Amino acid sequence: MVNFIKDRSSRWTLPADAWIGLLVIIIAVAVPFVIQSRYLLGEVILALIWAGVASQWNLLFGYAGVFSLAPMAFFAFGAYATAMLSYYLGWSVWLSIPAGAIVSIPFSLIIGLACLRLEGVYVALLTFAVAQMMYLLIVTDTGCFQQIGGSCVQFTGGATGFSDFGDFGMRPLLHQYWMIGNYAVVCCGAFLTMLVSWIVIRSPMGLAFRAIRDNPGYAMARGVNRFRTHLLVFGISAFFIGLLGGLYAVHFQAIGPTVFSLSQLLFVIASVVVGGVGSFWGPLLGAVVLTGADEFLSDFGEYRSLGLGLIITAFVVFLPRGLVGEIVHLFALWRRKRQSHV
Amino acid sequence: MSSLAEALLSCRQVSRYFGSLAAVKDVSLDVMPGEVLGIGGPNGAGKSTLFDVITGLVPASAGSISFAGRSISGKGADEICHAGVARTFQLNAAFEHLSVQENIEVAAHFGSTARIFPGFRVAASARAAAAESLETVGLIGKSAQRAGALPVFDRKLLMIAGAIVTKPKILFLDEPVGGLNRDEIDLIQALIERLRTSGMTIVVIEHVMRFLLTLSSRVIIMHHGEIIFEGLPGQVAEDRTVVDIYLGQGAAQRLRAHFSDTQHA
Ligand SMILES: Nc1ncnc2c1ncn2[C@@H]1O[C@H](COP(=O)(O)OP(=O)(O)O)[C@@H](O)[C@H]1O
Ligand SMILES: [Mg+2]
Repeated sequence: MVNFIKDRSSRWTLPADAWIGLLVIIIAVAVPFVIQSRYLLGEVILALIWAGVASQWNLLFGYAGVFSLAPMAFFAFGAYATAMLSYYLGWSVWLSIPAGAIVSIPFSLIIGLACLRLEGVYVALLTFAVAQMMYLLIVTDTGCFQQIGGSCVQFTGGATGFSDFGDFGMRPLLHQYWMIGNYAVVCCGAFLTMLVSWIVIRSPMGLAFRAIRDNPGYAMARGVNRFRTHLLVFGISAFFIGLLGGLYAVHFQAIGPTVFSLSQLLFVIASVVVGGVGSFWGPLLGAVVLTGADEFLSDFGEYRSLGLGLIITAFVVFLPRGLVGEIVHLFALWRRKRQSHV
Repeated sequence: MSSLAEALLSCRQVSRYFGSLAAVKDVSLDVMPGEVLGIGGPNGAGKSTLFDVITGLVPASAGSISFAGRSISGKGADEICHAGVARTFQLNAAFEHLSVQENIEVAAHFGSTARIFPGFRVAASARAAAAESLETVGLIGKSAQRAGALPVFDRKLLMIAGAIVTKPKILFLDEPVGGLNRDEIDLIQALIERLRTSGMTIVVIEHVMRFLLTLSSRVIIMHHGEIIFEGLPGQVAEDRTVVDIYLGQGAAQRLRAHFSDTQHA
């Protein structure tokens, strides 16, 4: 797998990242003015949430080389924690969202302690198993925890999940423009996620992640502790994935076991592969492109996973650098060519 | 051999088995501060495995190892690095996708002290140490290049720079000149001489015997996981067992001639 990871975080991209970031922020601010359709704005919100999740999976796999199949488990954990804190304890969502993100950290560390000492393949297997177990525990939960109006509510929400546990409160504030309010909140969450990842990648943490990904034995011989470093990247990504899960739950005012579906996991992985594994802007572009493509894929229902699988395969085989990786590569070629002509 | 108390590193009855194969078998050795200990022996003799066991990358099956008066048996490779043991690898290891500068910064930042939290910035002292070690090995002009794109010679230098930037008390070099040409071998030899003069203790594995015997103050020859010879460089080509098992008559004669030449000169 590591063979198709091309690291593009050498130092000269630093000012380039700042320019791209500025451009992205300008586009993000312009979007609600340009897009009038509430449905379309909703799709953009989804794209942003998946972009954030994909950026964290990229941090895990693209930078640290940890092939975790549990991103949707952390997403669900944050989302369920948010929903349950608001539903059972009546917490404001503004409190339960950060709380959900924070409790995702110990949850991820427990999973990490169990599986991160193992080799790559086993990490994939175990994280996948954890996600499946969570799914099964939730859908098979039939015990009545609360009786509401003659119907039964399971502690975990069971097969139906939770709804009406609170919202961002944008309707009374912005009236028919409430969706723009939701958009702004999700934008801030996604922005925070990407900003912190950028800082992490540029810091000694990112250096350690990439060193261990490239050559674990050599990294250990140079004083980098593989297990602790992997726990760190697990915790960081779980916090932000949990945060985005909470935002997702509150935006839709609903959360159910469907977030565990294989197609959601494939969507996150595909976003990273399409955008470019190990490239900072890749997941954002990948998530936006795939949300567009999803307009078609969703029509095919259960074939969505198949479509996503085909897209992943096609990119891994034909465009292993991903879209952003190809652009950077072509740009580098063009620069070299121009220099040799001078 | 000098008294045990002075040894910087000592191995006692160290063994490592892979299944039923004894890659290293009952090896006991002491490395004295400031010496250059050369290790030779045929392919598969267990030289690299001995390095792996000492530096914590592969656990020993039996035996004990102590460094600077403390036991390092069973410690992780990162802890052993922090204790002051650094090494290079026979297969030219590097962080392929990182630049030369970043390769050394990782080692400089993480190599000399344990960091529970890596922090947000590479320490200024680590940056300075990185620049100094790149200067020492002569890679300073290539710091922006990607390590994976370097030629073999530069990769060897990069590994040495990454090792010395952790400020080790003892340096293990696994075939530092394997695959290099004459001029390159001379440059590495001069570099190792400089490191020794600066007070570093060195253990070096090499097949290029002239290089090994010139550099070392003491030599060990391994075969089938065991030490079959230990002595001064000048005695290696005189030893019947070593000549029969490893050097062969021709090479032994050339080495003897070489050493008598240098002694008369
Ligand atoms: N990870 C491993 N698994 C199985 N056998 C190994 C492993 N590493 C080394 N060996 C075996 O141990 C023996 C010693 O190898 P090595 O230490 O590399 O020798 P040298 O460095 O002296 O050439 C060889 O027979 C080799 O095949
Ligand atoms: Mg070897």
